[in-house]
Amino acid sequence: MEFIRAHKLFSIYTALVILIVLIAIFAPYLAPQDPYDGNMRNVLQPPSSEHLLGTDKLGRDTFSRIICGTQVSLAMTICLVLLLAIVGTIVGVLSGYFGGKIEIVLMRLADMMLSFPGVVLAIAIAGILGGSIVNTILALLIVGWAKYARLVRSLVIKLRNNDFIIAAQVNGTKTINILTRHILPNILPMIVITGAMDIGTMIMEIAGLSFLGFGAQPPTPEWGLMLNEGRQYIQTSPWLMVYPGAAIFIVVAIFNLWGDSLRDVLDPRQ
Amino acid sequence: MKKSTKNLIKCLSLGIAAMFVVGCGDDSASKGGDPNVLKVGVTNFADTLEPTQNYFGWVVMRYGLGECLTKFNDKMEIEPWLAESWSVSDDHLTWTFKIRDNVKFSNGDSLTAESVRASIERAFQKNNRAATFFEYVSMTADGQNLVIQTSKPLPGMPGYLADPLFIIVDTAAESNRDFSKEGPICTGPYQVESFVKERAVMKRNDNYWAGEVPYPTVEIPSIDDPNTRAMALQSGDVDVAVNIAAGDIELFKGNNKFTVDEISSLRVVLARLNQNPDHILSDPKVRAALISGCDRETYNDILLKGTFIPGKAPVPPSLDYGFDQLTDPNSYNPERAEKLLDEAGWKDSDGDGIRDKDGKKLELDFVVYNSRAELPLYAEAVQSDLKKLGFDIKINTVDYNLIDGMGIKGEYDLLISNITTANTGDPEIFLTWYWKTNKDGSNPQNGSGYSNPEYDAKLEQLSMEFDPAKRREYIIELQQILMNDGASLFFGYPQTNIVNAKYIDGVKMYPSDYYWITNLIRPAM
Repeated sequence: MEFIRAHKLFSIYTALVILIVLIAIFAPYLAPQDPYDGNMRNVLQPPSSEHLLGTDKLGRDTFSRIICGTQVSLAMTICLVLLLAIVGTIVGVLSGYFGGKIEIVLMRLADMMLSFPGVVLAIAIAGILGGSIVNTILALLIVGWAKYARLVRSLVIKLRNNDFIIAAQVNGTKTINILTRHILPNILPMIVITGAMDIGTMIMEIAGLSFLGFGAQPPTPEWGLMLNEGRQYIQTSPWLMVYPGAAIFIVVAIFNLWGDSLRDVLDPRQ
Repeated sequence: MKKSTKNLIKCLSLGIAAMFVVGCGDDSASKGGDPNVLKVGVTNFADTLEPTQNYFGWVVMRYGLGECLTKFNDKMEIEPWLAESWSVSDDHLTWTFKIRDNVKFSNGDSLTAESVRASIERAFQKNNRAATFFEYVSMTADGQNLVIQTSKPLPGMPGYLADPLFIIVDTAAESNRDFSKEGPICTGPYQVESFVKERAVMKRNDNYWAGEVPYPTVEIPSIDDPNTRAMALQSGDVDVAVNIAAGDIELFKGNNKFTVDEISSLRVVLARLNQNPDHILSDPKVRAALISGCDRETYNDILLKGTFIPGKAPVPPSLDYGFDQLTDPNSYNPERAEKLLDEAGWKDSDGDGIRDKDGKKLELDFVVYNSRAELPLYAEAVQSDLKKLGFDIKINTVDYNLIDGMGIKGEYDLLISNITTANTGDPEIFLTWYWKTNKDGSNPQNGSGYSNPEYDAKLEQLSMEFDPAKRREYIIELQQILMNDGASLFFGYPQTNIVNAKYIDGVKMYPSDYYWITNLIRPAM
């Protein structure tokens, strides 16, 4: 209770995030109709009591597809952010702690990745790999790990020369234990904050790649893909673009606000 | 923190407000248009304007640049164009085409039978598709007469020469002009000023032979996305647009600023079914199940809002080749489809909803391109319908330029195509290219592996038959064979349209789809 009173905004945003996650988890039960199987005799219906947000070009219920899209989008995003954090942390810790040739090689690699315009490179990679959910995650991972690696490396370098690390080394603690017991816990808050603040961006980038046809493939109910499908009917059936767009907008906004407030709570400097 | 949140909200509300303002703007087309510049929004697949490369001749003709000896009118009857008349000898082996003597190329050179001969020979040298139309023993020029001798009777000759592959170019001009980069020298109302795939600029051909050419300049942007094309027409960025999609056509019909010319085309949308050995679809029962699992009436009547006629046969009903008397053994019947799959040994043994057999899943690769709006829609509808039967259809969207190669090499299970069925006036060539047995690459377009000796024999008879009634009979029988064999999945027959702003006159869509920009398009009086 004390905590909630002290961090009002954070609590509100967290509640909203939990709500979204619950929607994602229970999407198959919440969706009033099958998101894959429509009645083809009932296409492009405007919103009505039977179809809250209308139906799409194959007669599928847009509301159900958006709900199930939460699951797809969120699962992809969380997967991606976790992978980014893990890969970035491993690379960053290795190069930060050991230095030398490992650091030079890994960091030049990271520099290379950072010198490309991210989304363009992701499009290129996803284009070469072919459109699918896994390939989208892979493409964004290849583009995004360098940012985390650089961040973690700089944190580790700062920590490495602290007395408690040197003490552990003098005591003969195994390197792996130093890394996991002393370094990792100290850098974890920063990684979590960065990851949380990236969730919104990643949802956008995944939806963006799907919109361009490099991500999820039909008939997956994915927001970016739904936007693209609705594009053909923007003048005659605008609900096909408006609602998936609104879903992206709301979810991204909530995750961004949550990430911001999480930083305020966790950041030891404040 | 708080301040940045406030700013964020401000920016957002501003942005949203801006969207509304723009959305409510004046959407009427700019009035009147420019009498000196005609702007036509098209879809262009040609990388160059070399008429003998791939199917690029189509574009050369559509852009008002190239002309052939003959042309098709709006009933698909053959009419004189650069040839004013023609005749065939009594033994049906010698054709004589009389070339008009008042025609000049755009560079001022006169058109002679000799230049026609050189141009047609050039087409044969540069593209082996020419030989799939006809083969000749000799071709000679005699004054303004072009004489073509063939070894066997070829009733379709005047129609063959209407194909854009046989566009007449000035071969003498080729020595100091790169046709593929600068465009060929032809006889049409317009000539190339500049060309890249995305945008062509044409200028008036002052030497044009058939009347006045109204516009000094024609700009032809290629707008591949159908929705963008419709919006360009609405906003006045283009004066004319071809092929407005089903989702948008209602915006123009009944709108007094636009004229819609919509006709039944000669096209068919079909999926080639790869039946080469080792492919799942080599089993005729699986093919029959696949075809009868697709509710084609719903696709065309509802999903495409009736802009397509439901398909069953290779040749559309707009051509009189017995559409109504043909019977489709694989009309929509999901129960029959399930039974056929069971009989063929495909059962869902692991309960995941996808049938399998000998450890192999009933998984098919459906290759699609999306520069035509209906193609992905058909593919997704099929995917959805067939999933209920236990098929797992993977849609693979590729660039249009890859489709031809993939079709020839057979790199697909299903491959969607939108094909014209009568590019030479009747379906003979169409029925030959896609289903005649392909022995060692002798008929490259048939990469599906379909082969039926009875079909091949009938085609051979058809190719030598002059009597129209008998030809019609053969073509009906050929279609029935294909339908009985489940050779391909025929989705439907598109209506095709060309829409123009009211301040322009003379815009017309022809069933052959060859003639878009003509000198008949002019500012309305």
